Amino acid sequence: MGKKDTNVRMSLQTLRVLEAFLENPTEQLSGAEVHQRCGIASGTLYPILLRLESAGWFVSQWEAIDPSSVGRPRRRLYRLTSTGLRRASEVFASFNRGVLA
Amino acid sequence: MSQRNERSTRPGSDGVTEWLIHQAAHRAPESLSSRLEEEWLADLASRSAPLSRLRFAAGCCWATILILHDFPRSRVPAASPVAARGFLTLVDRNFSYFSLRSATLFLIAGLHAALFYGLITTLSHTRSPAVPPRLQNQPVAPVPRAKVPLPLPGSDFKDRAIYVPKPVVETPPKMDFEADVIGDVSEKPPQVISQPPFPETPTHAVHQLAGGPGAGFPETGDFYPSPSIRLGEEGLSTVRVCVDRRGRLTSEPTTVRGSGSARLDEAALKLARAGSGHYRPTTEDGQPVSSCYPFGVRFQLKK
Repeated sequence: MGKKDTNVRMSLQTLRVLEAFLENPTEQLSGAEVHQRCGIASGTLYPILLRLESAGWFVSQWEAIDPSSVGRPRRRLYRLTSTGLRRASEVFASFNRGVLA
Repeated sequence: MSQRNERSTRPGSDGVTEWLIHQAAHRAPESLSSRLEEEWLADLASRSAPLSRLRFAAGCCWATILILHDFPRSRVPAASPVAARGFLTLVDRNFSYFSLRSATLFLIAGLHAALFYGLITTLSHTRSPAVPPRLQNQPVAPVPRAKVPLPLPGSDFKDRAIYVPKPVVETPPKMDFEADVIGDVSEKPPQVISQPPFPETPTHAVHQLAGGPGAGFPETGDFYPSPSIRLGEEGLSTVRVCVDRRGRLTSEPTTVRGSGSARLDEAALKLARAGSGHYRPTTEDGQPVSSCYPFGVRFQLKK
């Protein structure tokens, strides 16, 4: 497996997703929670989550619950990786400098 | 999978939304299909409003298109817990017959074709021949003209007399300029003018009441020019006004007969303008009508 391309095309929606995760970088968020925080529609949100995960900015895993006892299906939870945290911070820092990296 | 099957059998809108998600996930890359379906169904469960659920499901269908465009070779972790620990490179799979770009190109081409067809079919109904039909020069048989001798001016020419009916001229009622003269705005009783009946056409007489300054008309003294007061100028200026049915001026008043003093005449015109809306309109059979009439403004110093 070669070196992974960590470049992600930045769009306004992608920045809003990253911003939601940067509020608490250690927090794990499901797609529904990201939608509640960003207001991005599902048609745009899930491709962005998959794109960031594919680039190594996010990792995802299933929620560790028992659906039968909780009474709802398990969710897919996303979390920023160290690479994603660093790259996302760079992106927002470049915005503060007025130059997009 | 059993949970998925249970959900799919729900009736109503839930069945529709879950069916949409199932279809969307089924069309996604094979490595992501089951993961996306479970993930989307779990996120769908957090929504309660039917419209919101439907929008979510429709968005998942759109997301599948974007995911197919982004991940023709999936590099995203699959759904199984074992596979989720690392990234997998999956086998190639042609997930769609057309790429998004090709589909867009075909769509644009189809729209152009439909537009062109529509234009052609519409114009064919309303099209008029741009080139006139060719003239066909065919010899036409000459029409035999009967030789009728022209009538010569004879003696019967004078017999044809032309009778022109004599026009009947109706003279309008004569207005007496001196009839309605006001001094220091003292209202006079309206003058009744009755038209003389015509003997030829017996119609009912129109009772016309001539208009004049009415209630609330400005005082003449307020418009008496100060130089005229100092110089002792007095006089009668006759002004002609045109008034509508509500007693308002419809045109600029004019001086019919001057007083001999330009200042007094101008002051009379100012008074006539200021009185707009306070004129008493002329009435015909009790109905107010628009009319023009003169009235006099007398400037007289008090002894």
